[in-house]
Amino acid sequence: MAANATQTTPTANWSYGAAQEGQVHENPEWEKARQALASISKSQSTTKTAQANRTTADVCVREAGQFQPAVTDSAAIQQQQYYQWYQQNQQQYPGYTYPYNYYYPMGPYGGAYPPNQYGVPPGPYPGPPTPNGQPPPVPGMDDQSSSYPSQPQPPPPSAPQPPQSPTTSEKPPPPPPPPIPPPPNSQYPPPPSQNAYNPNNPMPYPPGDPNQMRAYNHAQGRPNYGQSYQAQNAYQASQNNSQQQQQQPGQYGPGLGRGDLNKNKNQKQGQQLWHRMKQAPGTSAVKFNISKRPYQVQCSMVPNQTFPPGEQPSGMNPTPSSPATASAAPGAAQTRPQDWPQAMKEYVQRCFTACETEEDKDRTEKVLKEVLQDRLKDGSAYTIDWTREPLPELKAKQSRWEAVPSQRTLDSSISRGGNTVAASRGRGGGHRLGHYRNVFSQRSPSSSSSRSSSRSPSPSHSRHRDRSSQRHRRSDSGSQSDSSISSDLRPQLSRRNQKGGRGRGNDRDRGRGERGRGRGGKANRGRRNMDDTNSGMGKKRKGGNAGLDFHDPNREAKKQSRAARFHKQLRSEPLVLSINALDLPNGTQESLSWEDCPIVGTCQDITKNYLRLTCAPDPSTVRPVHVLRKSLQAVKTHWKTHQDYTYACEQMKSIRQDLTVQGVRTEFTVEVYECHARIALEKGDHEEFNQCQTQLKALYKENPSENIGEFTAYRLMYYIFTKNSGDLTTELVYLTPALREDPCVAHALALRAAWALGNYHRFFKLYLGAPRMASYLIDKFVERERKIALRAILKTFRPDLPVEYVQSALGFPCLDSCMAFLTGLGVTFFLSDPNKIDCKASSAVLAAS
Amino acid sequence: MFAVTLDLRIFANNAELQKKGKGQPGDMLEKAAEQLMSCFRVCASDNRAGIDDSKKWGMLFLINQLFKIYFKINKLHLCKPLIRAIDSSNLKNDYSMAQRVTYKYYVGRKAMFDSDFKPAEEYLSFSFQHCHRSSQKNKRMILIYLLPVKMLLGHMPTHQLLRKYDLMQFADVTKAVSEGNLLLLNEALAKHETFFIRCGIFLILEKLKIITYRNLFKKVYQLLRTHQLPLDAFLVSLRMMQLEDVDLDEVQCILANLIYMGHIKGYISHQHQKLVVSKQNPFPPLSSVS
Repeated sequence: MAANATQTTPTANWSYGAAQEGQVHENPEWEKARQALASISKSQSTTKTAQANRTTADVCVREAGQFQPAVTDSAAIQQQQYYQWYQQNQQQYPGYTYPYNYYYPMGPYGGAYPPNQYGVPPGPYPGPPTPNGQPPPVPGMDDQSSSYPSQPQPPPPSAPQPPQSPTTSEKPPPPPPPPIPPPPNSQYPPPPSQNAYNPNNPMPYPPGDPNQMRAYNHAQGRPNYGQSYQAQNAYQASQNNSQQQQQQPGQYGPGLGRGDLNKNKNQKQGQQLWHRMKQAPGTSAVKFNISKRPYQVQCSMVPNQTFPPGEQPSGMNPTPSSPATASAAPGAAQTRPQDWPQAMKEYVQRCFTACETEEDKDRTEKVLKEVLQDRLKDGSAYTIDWTREPLPELKAKQSRWEAVPSQRTLDSSISRGGNTVAASRGRGGGHRLGHYRNVFSQRSPSSSSSRSSSRSPSPSHSRHRDRSSQRHRRSDSGSQSDSSISSDLRPQLSRRNQKGGRGRGNDRDRGRGERGRGRGGKANRGRRNMDDTNSGMGKKRKGGNAGLDFHDPNREAKKQSRAARFHKQLRSEPLVLSINALDLPNGTQESLSWEDCPIVGTCQDITKNYLRLTCAPDPSTVRPVHVLRKSLQAVKTHWKTHQDYTYACEQMKSIRQDLTVQGVRTEFTVEVYECHARIALEKGDHEEFNQCQTQLKALYKENPSENIGEFTAYRLMYYIFTKNSGDLTTELVYLTPALREDPCVAHALALRAAWALGNYHRFFKLYLGAPRMASYLIDKFVERERKIALRAILKTFRPDLPVEYVQSALGFPCLDSCMAFLTGLGVTFFLSDPNKIDCKASSAVLAAS
Repeated sequence: MFAVTLDLRIFANNAELQKKGKGQPGDMLEKAAEQLMSCFRVCASDNRAGIDDSKKWGMLFLINQLFKIYFKINKLHLCKPLIRAIDSSNLKNDYSMAQRVTYKYYVGRKAMFDSDFKPAEEYLSFSFQHCHRSSQKNKRMILIYLLPVKMLLGHMPTHQLLRKYDLMQFADVTKAVSEGNLLLLNEALAKHETFFIRCGIFLILEKLKIITYRNLFKKVYQLLRTHQLPLDAFLVSLRMMQLEDVDLDEVQCILANLIYMGHIKGYISHQHQKLVVSKQNPFPPLSSVS
């Protein structure tokens, strides 16, 4: 075991790496992914070891090796894969041709599959190699190629994997079944090794030949990957992760969608199958975890049919999932190789094009890396409908997930894939691209659900997710589903989920799934998936997979965090949906940025409460400009009559928000900001005032206003208020002569000069003659200046000083206010003449204060 | 030796980064600054290596580069932690003189903008004195900031110095301040306003007005030869400087400020409208004030 464990860790890494590595070869980003994987693999390795131990009994050293790799991916991954495999196997078994495709598509399973395809091959390779693999594992660890070589057999699977994935229909059945059906360990090892190898055998991979593996990867898997990778090298990594997740969801979605795309009926069936499948995987999940790689191998193998589809997995998954899986798998497998490269490339390009800034690009790179890697691993990449894939932003969300990579891996490839995808989707949705978001959310729901379910702690979250996902799905399906593949995928996914749920016997899931079906099918599916996964988790746990147990604590924590994220995302998602719906018809996922796809509001309400946007805006709640004009008038009149600042501020902010959301930067925008700035100034709300000022400064560059001088003067005075001589200097540099002649600016400059020289006499003279609303601004620091001036005065004059002088010098409007000010500072007066200040005594008091 | 080469490489990398960043507008500069900051953190956190080959030797170089960027993009507040890091470093006196001169130059400038003129003068003086004698350009840059600070503290530059470094913009200013010629000062400031503003010293030079008032009033005192000076006399002197819109209250205000800041020893009798100055040393030398 130890050996296995050790190997496993490396192998596991490799297995990940294998999938990833293939990608890695293509992309530098791989390294990052590798590191992440390595970390994961470590954790996984522990789990793997546990699994290995479990499996060891069942599986031989070979398996251990395989397992290790698989394990390395993480028990979770393995589990997922297993699930997938099971499902796939089941599906495959039932309908090999379809199943294959579906398998790949099968997000959850697919997640596994994708890994399988990518990872699977490696996994299988390692597995088969296990015997071979043990030695090979290390190499495999080193490189996919190495792993492949080390595990000649596996390599073939791996090579086949990608290619097989398509072909998987043949191979998948064998691998999944063997690994899945058999107890996690035993099954995995045997199936992978045998099945995978067998399948692999058909595969060209000379067992253990790294080169072969490479060749495979390159030839089959890599080419695809390569394409995608090349385009999305960085993305690949992200994608891999995401892919896994996405694959699960996506696979579900895609697989379902693609396979069943249009047919809800099929979806339902598919869902049922899925549920069954899932359940089977779930039950086997523990085993699967261990055997994930084996599954992968199997997957790769599957094509070869080495796995008796029904045999191992079949026991678990085959029966339930077989139909759907089978149908799905074949399609996925077939479509994958071809679609992946181009679609993925295009997808990557889209992602990058969507990036407005370099930061965005960096982010998208990361995300894409993860997503691609995951998907490649899962093999979902093939199945996923890349055109519908959410953009990088969503992926960015995934990145967050990435932070939890270890968890993912541990949790299980399935859960990972789903979670990451969901997370990414949800995030993405929340962010910029509603469309993307929607897509993600749709996919994610299923995936997330499965993942969440696997993670027992976050059932509620998962539910929420599912719901949200359902919503999204609904919306998506409603708006977009018709034409888009994603919709098809969704149905498939839902079917799968349903199947899995059924098989597992998760009443909740089923019920949900049914509801979801009724609604959009997708959401339900997602829920079902979640439930299924959960059930699977329970099964796995029951199975007593030590590895899983170990992971659980972390998983829970991770789950919670994810759940939290999801909650956030969830909010956004609904809104996003509407946007997505709009965008989706256009089919423009690319236009992520506000600027690219400005929203035009449809809301006719003149007043609207301000709510901080946490997600993409919903056009139905955004007011178009002509309505906003009325709104501004209404707010102004209301302000004049009621002087209700809270109301005015809220209304102004909502107007500003609507303008911002719609990307309106015109004279009207300037007017709104000026108006708000004045109101805020009048009420001394200098936070809002500052916001407006900042915006105005930028807006004036595009839309010069006659009030530019006024607000420049305010800015100068604000710098005086903050004593920011640096900014003051900069501002002076940019003052044009014309601007300097503006009465407001001239006044502000004179005020500044007086202030700089401590010429309080002049300062307060200017204060009393301040134009427009400048006196409101000066009010903010007039007390401060008065104190300073008073100190100088009291130090200068002896022996006494009439209050009247102070009053006039310091610009007090009346004697009483001056007296209040003086007494407030502890100024002492002569007893004999209360109108005269005892300068000496007062000066001491002031100096002390 | 190992450390030296390592540092050199880091330097080279950073230098490249900076070159890249500097040529481009704010965004690139900020990005370059980010990169530099990460390098700096690496250097600053190198506690393991021995003192001889510590990466900390790279800190000052990096800080100087960061200063250049921050000053360019007007984010002086970002300099604070860097200065603190160097202040707390036990190596601060062992860096190469070139680096220290650069460092002090920027720290001095920062202190000047923060109106901490005493330390600013200290840093800039150090920088000026230790700047390599052949780097006239650098010395001129230092002088641009050192001169106002020095003048504010009462040290007027010689005509010779200004000519040597081609800083004749200061010539009139210097003359006006030392003569108390407010009119000339205003003219000189207006004439070279663009240059001064571009250097960011316009506001500093403006404060020379206070010194100019002091010198002007000192002349009034010397003419009247009495320690009880009628405020009208000062008003006349200001009017002579073509400040038409001044009144007695403003005169009192100006005097109050001068007294408050210690430039004049004395007091104003509001009742008699007279400035009563100390019989001994009513106008203490500028260098002893504040």
